[in-house]
Amino acid sequence: MDLDLEVKLAIYRHFAETGRRPSVEDVGRRLGASADEVSEAYRRLRSSRVLVLESNGVTIRMAPPFSGVATQHVVKAGEVSYFANCAWDALGVPAALQAPATVYSRCEQSMEPFRLEVGRYGPEASDWLFHCVVPAAHWWDDIVFT
Amino acid sequence: MREWCQVQGLPLRPMVRIDQLWGLAEAWYATRLQPDSRRPQPAEMRQIFARLGLVDAFWDPESDRFGPSSSKH
Repeated sequence: MDLDLEVKLAIYRHFAETGRRPSVEDVGRRLGASADEVSEAYRRLRSSRVLVLESNGVTIRMAPPFSGVATQHVVKAGEVSYFANCAWDALGVPAALQAPATVYSRCEQSMEPFRLEVGRYGPEASDWLFHCVVPAAHWWDDIVFT
Repeated sequence: MREWCQVQGLPLRPMVRIDQLWGLAEAWYATRLQPDSRRPQPAEMRQIFARLGLVDAFWDPESDRFGPSSSKH
């Protein structure tokens, strides 16, 4: 297994286990790799759009569906709470974990709170709607805004 | 939603039901924690969107209808 794949899997395992982003040092400890080696892998993973990094180039902003920063999209699965990047990614967390979860978010128009139970094979019935402003061809022009 | 978009100065786009959103979430992320996972490429994206009934040009990952894109997905 090449280092980039090992780093990617270590990042996702850390998010899955803790709900929080790993530091370069966290990933290095898991893999027995140096911080420099992990940092280089982060940059390559950013280039292939696996990760979105903060401007310092070594802090994870997004490892979709997980968010490295607090957002209004919170997912609780078992004893762990996760932040998701958007409503799509909020459902992506239980899909990635392959585990039941509860999604908490809100309507951006009314600020009405939103709660959705998601089972192993999908969410409960809901009449809420998802609205994405950015067309698919432009999602990665500015993925944080998208 | 139309009113909110007007207030925000944003265009109104196609709406996605929760069951469709789950289909998107599964298609993108169900294998994300596994070694062989990868993000869908444009042809796969079109198939996923079509299967979920998302057929508007908005969902075309290579459409130039909304202006030039730097996106490679």
